[in-house]
Amino acid sequence: MLAKALKCSTFLFAATLMSSQVHAAAHAGKVYGPQPVTVKGYTGDKTNSVSYSGQIARYVLHDSLKKLAGKGNGGGNAAELEAQMMAYFGGSETPLDIVAPLGKDGFPLKQASVEDLSKGKDLSGKFYKGLMPAWPGNMTGLEAVQHMIKHAAKADGGWDPKTGYNYPQLISKFTLGAVSYSQAVDNYLDEKMTADNKPNGKPYKEGAHYTGKEHSWDEAFGYFGAAAHSAALTPDQNYAVAKLKDLEAADANGDGVVDLKSEYVFGNAYYAAGADRSGVTDYMTTIVGAFVDGRKLITSADGENLTAEQLTQLQQCAGVISKTWEKVLAEAAFNYAGSVYKDITAMNEAANDEDKMKVYKDYVKHWGELKGFTMAMQTGKNNLGETAVTLNRLIGFGPVTLDNSYVTGVDANGDFIMDRRRTWSDYQLHMLKVQRLMISEFGVAARKNDQTANLQALADKLESDSTAETD
Amino acid sequence: MDILDHIVSVFSDFTDPKKRVFFGYLLISAIIGLIWLMIVKRLSPAKAILRFADKKVFFSASSVTDYKIFVINRLFSFLISPLLITQLVIATAIFYWLHEVGFVRSGALGHVDTWIVVALFSAVMFVLDDFTKYLVHRWMHKWPLLWAIHKTHHSATTLTPVTVYRIHPLEGVLYALRSAFAQGVAISTFIYLFGDQVDLYTIVGVNVLVFVFHITGSNLRHSHIHIGYWPWLERVFISPAQHQIHHSIAEEHYDKNFGAALAIWDWMFGSLHLSEADKDVEFGLEPGERSDVTGLQSIYLRPIIEIGEIILARVQNVLALAKTLILHILSAFRHAGKLTDPSSPQTFTCRRIKKVGMRFVESDGRIAAFSDFKVLGHFNHDRIATRFQCDQRLITGHFNGVD
Repeated sequence: MLAKALKCSTFLFAATLMSSQVHAAAHAGKVYGPQPVTVKGYTGDKTNSVSYSGQIARYVLHDSLKKLAGKGNGGGNAAELEAQMMAYFGGSETPLDIVAPLGKDGFPLKQASVEDLSKGKDLSGKFYKGLMPAWPGNMTGLEAVQHMIKHAAKADGGWDPKTGYNYPQLISKFTLGAVSYSQAVDNYLDEKMTADNKPNGKPYKEGAHYTGKEHSWDEAFGYFGAAAHSAALTPDQNYAVAKLKDLEAADANGDGVVDLKSEYVFGNAYYAAGADRSGVTDYMTTIVGAFVDGRKLITSADGENLTAEQLTQLQQCAGVISKTWEKVLAEAAFNYAGSVYKDITAMNEAANDEDKMKVYKDYVKHWGELKGFTMAMQTGKNNLGETAVTLNRLIGFGPVTLDNSYVTGVDANGDFIMDRRRTWSDYQLHMLKVQRLMISEFGVAARKNDQTANLQALADKLESDSTAETD
Repeated sequence: MDILDHIVSVFSDFTDPKKRVFFGYLLISAIIGLIWLMIVKRLSPAKAILRFADKKVFFSASSVTDYKIFVINRLFSFLISPLLITQLVIATAIFYWLHEVGFVRSGALGHVDTWIVVALFSAVMFVLDDFTKYLVHRWMHKWPLLWAIHKTHHSATTLTPVTVYRIHPLEGVLYALRSAFAQGVAISTFIYLFGDQVDLYTIVGVNVLVFVFHITGSNLRHSHIHIGYWPWLERVFISPAQHQIHHSIAEEHYDKNFGAALAIWDWMFGSLHLSEADKDVEFGLEPGERSDVTGLQSIYLRPIIEIGEIILARVQNVLALAKTLILHILSAFRHAGKLTDPSSPQTFTCRRIKKVGMRFVESDGRIAAFSDFKVLGHFNHDRIATRFQCDQRLITGHFNGVD
């Protein structure tokens, strides 16, 4: 048992040292589930205690909501679209079709309706309800996303050139944190991993075929969004599966269709794979490996309450997962801060207004992802404190727009106020500082789109010593 | 790392194409030197080899000291290098600053063809590096504090390629900082203006222009092979003979030819001296410079002592200046006193008397603070310079007489 715990404690170290491919091979056996039923006195016919379909349903709601957020036509369909989005966000009495992801030739999906995964699920009930200072208007996380949904419904194609907001990206990335990350690290892996909360000696709820701890752990895994066999796949394979490619890699049971419940890679896990493609990090196998180890530890208790030692080991695994997950979000923020920087340079270089507008649209999209991810990071277990303040000030409520103005607040009607201006150079400097902050505070290592990497590369090439010869 | 690895790393410069003493460059320099001796000096191959491999040069006491310094300095380098600010830190700081100032937009020249950018960066890096070398080298000769450490290099009485390492560790630090600064400026500015396409044209990992410098006999600068160029070329590139003139003990050669690769800086700033064919040049320093040729202890410690002496002298100068200044001030007080009554003793009767300025007693031209001074209604005192407020009157000056 101790060996298992040590594995978890070494994951963090391994996360940035081993090559992804090597680690993937080492974790080939680390598939999440199935696990036997251990609930004492269970008389039903279930044989697999692993269950997290509710979280997969929430991922599908998230993907669908993101897709819908880009369907606005500038106000004409605002009311209808808002209602539709709210059905996916806040729940619906009637069954909802899956809007995204949708299967395609060569990559068929098993489920077409949200109910095929789980019934009665919504996003709003699990949404982060603490204060969200990164968004104007002194709102809670839930109010902020509802504000975004309202404006998304009125926007044309989901984006607003005036404010520089891309709502599908803002809503999506924020939700990845405010539902999945927040619920997992601040609830299931946190208080539910204490002795008295959801004990292992009792079923999760009356009649359930899984124990309190088993299901809490499974729920957290579901929120991460990895396929059950993600640890056995390379980062490229995980990435391709999320992009609805590489059926062979996705279809673990070989039945010819991809089961969204266990064979598909969603949101947070997708970004872990994205960082791991750098070859520098190993976030996916670190997180999934810790989940698998933790789950096996719970199963080994055989339906009894966990001992203090077992709880400590489990919390150690939870710590590894939470810390690494935070890094995944920080890597994404780092990446998009670099994209925003590059887009500004590209706008400076644009030959004409048409080209500039094209780049501006990309810039707004990338900024939405940056903003969404940094908001996501502020919904975790840890209060980011001063780091959050710095981050929010650097990024601002909105990006610098074409006339150099940016959103500074909202008025009484919830409309955006843009009464200040900032230069592009200044904003680029902010992006550099965001990247520096991600390194200093979270130790990001993949560092995709590193805007000072070229300085490093040239410095390495020149080498100070080589020209330090005197005469 | 075992002992063997340490030994190998000490001598790694001979296998590193980024270093001037890379064996390939040494070999090319030897070939150039031999060809020059045979063709220009018309020596037979055997005599050319004997002349070239002159044991009086390579095994002179001065050269043997160079070899010892080489090893010792490499050890210093291992210790000191990690502590120094790097070009990356400087480049990053400047890169940030350029955004802050924002006088030109980042990527403003990003549309320029990549090959032009790379060529330009390679050239600017070489020229900037060479210019800063010139400047620092010039300062080394002109500023006494720096000359104290640079003398170590000039104390060599025979020159070999290893003499390039005959420097005081403090000089190594200064040159490393110079290099970091030059590279930091060039890297940050270029990436800010031209974006990601900035790169360096290299051969064997070295800036192509540095490579050309090395394969055209850079190692002959520190040698006894007196190769000069045509006068017009010596105004553009420093020839080995010109650098040997820089090491000359002759008075007319003092503070000449500070340049590394390019002679244009010397030409521009009036320190150029063309080579002189068939003129023997004696290397080293005048005895008055008190610089040891072979004593390692002296070579490493003497500059530190000299720096200490210079600083002490400077402090004494400052104190002397302060003293003069005070004397002037007191003189002004006296002058003011004389205005009221320049010569005769004065007696004041005051109901209330208060010191306003400083009190000094002047005696034999020396100044001393006079701290035990009481005023009891009225006073006479010998040569007291001060300012008083006597009732409502401000009295300034020096006063003669005894209580």
